[in-house]
Amino acid sequence: MSKINLEEAKKLAKLSRLEFTDAELNTFVEEFEKTLEQVNAIDSVDTSKIDLYEETLLADSQLREDVVKESFKQEAIVANAPEKKDGAFVVPTTVE
Amino acid sequence: MNYLDMNLWQVKELLDKGEVTSEQLTSMCFEQIEKTKEINALLSLCKESALKTAKEIDEKRKKGEKLGALAGIPVVLKDNINYINTKTTCASKFLENWVSPFTATCAQKLIDAGAVIIGKANMDEFAMGSSTENSAFGVTKNPCNTAYVPGGSSGGSAASVASKQCFASLGTDTGGSIREPASFCGVVGLKPTYGRVSRSGVVAFASSLDQVGPFTRCAKDSAIMLSVLAGKDELDMTSSSVEVKNYVQEIKGDVKGLKIGIAKQFFSDKLDDEVKTKIQNAINVLTKNGATTVEIDLPSIDVALAVYYIVSSAEAASNLARFDGIRYGVRAKNYEDLVDLYVKSRTQGFGKEVKRRIMLGNYVLSSGYFDAFYRKAKKVQKIIKQEFLEAFKKCDIIISPTTATTAFKIGEKSDDHVAMYLNDIFTVPINIAGLPAMSIPCGVSEKNGMPIGMQIIAPHFEEGRIFNVADFYENNKEVQ
Amino acid sequence: MSWKVVIGLEVHSELSTNSKCFCSCKNKFGGEPNTNCCPVCTGMPGALPVLNQKAVEYAIRMGLAVGCKINQYSVFERKNYYYPDLPKAYQISQLEFPLCVGGGLEIEVDGKKKFINLDRIHLEEDAGKLIHDVSGTLVDYNRGGVPLIEIVSKPDISSAEEAVAYLEKLRSTLLYVGVSDCKMQEGSLRCDVNLSLHKEGEPFGTRTEMKNLNSFRAVLRAIKYEAKRQAEVLDKGGKIIQETRRWDDEEGKTYSMRTKEDSQDYRYFPDPDLIPIKITDEYINKIKADLPKLANERIEDYMNMGLSLKDAELLTNQRKISDYFDEIIKQFNQPKFVCNWICGEVFKKLNTETYEDANIELSAKQMANLLQLYHSGTINQAVARQLLDEIWGTDLIPENIVKEKGLAQISDEKGLEEILTKIVNENPKAVAELKAGNQKTMAFFIGQTMKATNGKANPKLVGEILNKIIKEC
Repeated sequence: MSKINLEEAKKLAKLSRLEFTDAELNTFVEEFEKTLEQVNAIDSVDTSKIDLYEETLLADSQLREDVVKESFKQEAIVANAPEKKDGAFVVPTTVE
Repeated sequence: MNYLDMNLWQVKELLDKGEVTSEQLTSMCFEQIEKTKEINALLSLCKESALKTAKEIDEKRKKGEKLGALAGIPVVLKDNINYINTKTTCASKFLENWVSPFTATCAQKLIDAGAVIIGKANMDEFAMGSSTENSAFGVTKNPCNTAYVPGGSSGGSAASVASKQCFASLGTDTGGSIREPASFCGVVGLKPTYGRVSRSGVVAFASSLDQVGPFTRCAKDSAIMLSVLAGKDELDMTSSSVEVKNYVQEIKGDVKGLKIGIAKQFFSDKLDDEVKTKIQNAINVLTKNGATTVEIDLPSIDVALAVYYIVSSAEAASNLARFDGIRYGVRAKNYEDLVDLYVKSRTQGFGKEVKRRIMLGNYVLSSGYFDAFYRKAKKVQKIIKQEFLEAFKKCDIIISPTTATTAFKIGEKSDDHVAMYLNDIFTVPINIAGLPAMSIPCGVSEKNGMPIGMQIIAPHFEEGRIFNVADFYENNKEVQ
Repeated sequence: MSWKVVIGLEVHSELSTNSKCFCSCKNKFGGEPNTNCCPVCTGMPGALPVLNQKAVEYAIRMGLAVGCKINQYSVFERKNYYYPDLPKAYQISQLEFPLCVGGGLEIEVDGKKKFINLDRIHLEEDAGKLIHDVSGTLVDYNRGGVPLIEIVSKPDISSAEEAVAYLEKLRSTLLYVGVSDCKMQEGSLRCDVNLSLHKEGEPFGTRTEMKNLNSFRAVLRAIKYEAKRQAEVLDKGGKIIQETRRWDDEEGKTYSMRTKEDSQDYRYFPDPDLIPIKITDEYINKIKADLPKLANERIEDYMNMGLSLKDAELLTNQRKISDYFDEIIKQFNQPKFVCNWICGEVFKKLNTETYEDANIELSAKQMANLLQLYHSGTINQAVARQLLDEIWGTDLIPENIVKEKGLAQISDEKGLEEILTKIVNENPKAVAELKAGNQKTMAFFIGQTMKATNGKANPKLVGEILNKIIKEC
């Protein structure tokens, strides 16, 4: 049975790139517990005989042919950008 | 004669006969939208382009040019379906100003068939919810009684058809988001087989479960719509190449020999007695006309909801990660660095329910939990699918209620998300199995006057059976 | 006991398909920012990826060339992390069911052969590019979505030299199978190095990962630096931290980028937009049948033509050279002669420093023509070398130049005899020395003859005639 504590919730928020107040997180943890109760229902099902394989497409005949099509105009690509310069998106200085 | 009260197929005939023009119909729709503004079904209108298209179609018709199956018919799109040069907000603050540079395949197919797109419909933010109360732009009200929710997430699309603003609309259904609002608003809502309609250009909630489908006033209209929408799309690898039928011709006007599967799991104690009775009455209409019922067993559908919350949240968390404030959408005003930009933009742009699902999704995907949740859920999903396939060896269709109760009041469940999630118990298993299903009206509650919906489920790609049964019921229910 | 170095390499190679991996935009380097882009490769809401069949074929082709097992069931997964160059905030990659597993290749360092095993080859999409600017960082997605294969070796490599030999072999193989242009400068071949130290008989130590290695030289230097750094830390009783380190080529040092603590939880899961693919035996066999001849087969062919193993290996180090050789001998079937010229004169022309991107600026047709002229005795070696310089980088035909400039060597016995008689008469002292058995004087006479004929005399003939004259006088 999975449970979650405040500390884990904080980590999860970080991973999700979301921010919560402590009060919000506390409520969240409570609600999350209830959701997890629901979700834990899958533990009751025996899946030992089930494999992971899914339906497939044939690699040699059902994939996209390697043909170039016209790209979008640069203006259309950056039209919705909150910040742009010379046809590029601008983000705070990032060095890695 | 009020054209707006008519079915799509009826106005189509009148358009062909020249009794009414598309321009007139389109204008009538805009007038009706104005009159029924209070229900808040639509988030944006395409008045100019719609009237222009309508006139063009009228011109073509005058000239005797060949026209598509939906020529001149006003329709509405859910606001998570991209339509070039218009806003596609997904009812989220994050995308409030996003103007799409491309059109979704499903919308393009409607356009190619001559449909006139008149507006974009309200919804729960990013299609997460069952009441449209999660819209960042205000709840949609149920046209049958404005104190009630229209259902969700495609609440605006359902309410728009129910309030006669258009003749058909598109919604998306991930766990019941077409069928539940159809049931609550008293219209016909179809979730086709997974892969039947392209998802290209439809903003994803949970990619492996999402499916586009139509809202209409009757089953025949739904068949007309699906005939236009269905088919393999080279822009969506998950779209199926199974042959598309002319679904209108699948309506035979006869249910003799039809075997209706009844699963006890769909008629549990969670089901409202009145709903149960109405569904039973509807089944009786069919059995009196030559259909028979057969008991089937779907032992694992009780856990479908758990599978749904794991799979849909995991996919949603990943699908919604791209909303980071760099290429489009909200960018927070004050931020310290790149990570802070991400966090603040997302925190400001997303509503509570969306955040909850993202958190749940990242939880089930994170290292250490992946096997116990996601992998396990995918395996259980296979079992559920298998159970339906087994059941369909004994029957042609399965009938169940769409929802356990009729529509609830606005605000009634908005603080109890678990109760809200339980709302989807009859619709979710269908998405988990990838099956087609339709909700059709089968009466009205005597307690609150709200519509009741019956769910008709068919095997994969057998939508034709659904249209036949639903159409037969619609034409014979009066004479029971 | 000294430290043993344990190295595993992750090589990323961009595939030279026409279109990108998951959309139909052009797969092209450079250009104005965001001009080879569409909703799919810029992660717009609602856009869906559609897998490029050629990218899959290329990955399999490389897998077959290095002896991988091809997985008949292959799945694409999402690797979730935030970075501005990643428009969907996840990279489509492979984890559990990659296209190719196992395999490996043989390298040779200081005459010793060694087999380096591969862990896997998988297909994934490239990220966009960040450009640093006064106003911040600019993001360009032209490269975003370009197909990449990641070739992951087992930790079988134990020195910087082995690492470079492995990279050279890998690069050569990629070029042989024709799936990548392998330009390190343009980033179409990139390499990350995982390195740790341990003592014989002890388990592997903690490893660091080095990034930003833009040339084979950088790989060589970075490995030497990092091995030394780790040894120093360990010798002082310190501990190696599992981290990613960035190689600074100018400084010649590695710097810590991030430690494992803040390493990402990538939350891999199968991409629901991409259906798993099935690769049938028939398809694998078809790709196998279409596979170009690899170095080993070509070495065998060359040895059958009478070349030595060493020569055959020299010719096949690079597909470009081998193809060039094949093309020349189609027109002028003297393998040994052609090989000597390529390995001598042509290699001299190709600056060895930039060998990896060497450009042969002479068509096989021109070269065949030049060698024919030389081989048949129409021109002598000196003229042949001079001509090579002259026509390199042009489309001039050697035959024509020889005619225009009258460069054909003088093989006319009577004419040469006249010239030589004159020289002999003018140099009695040298004649005496030659008669006394001083063979060095022979060179003097040949030199004088060349001078008189502008270097066109047939040296062999000059020798013969001279001997005759000397005997007679």
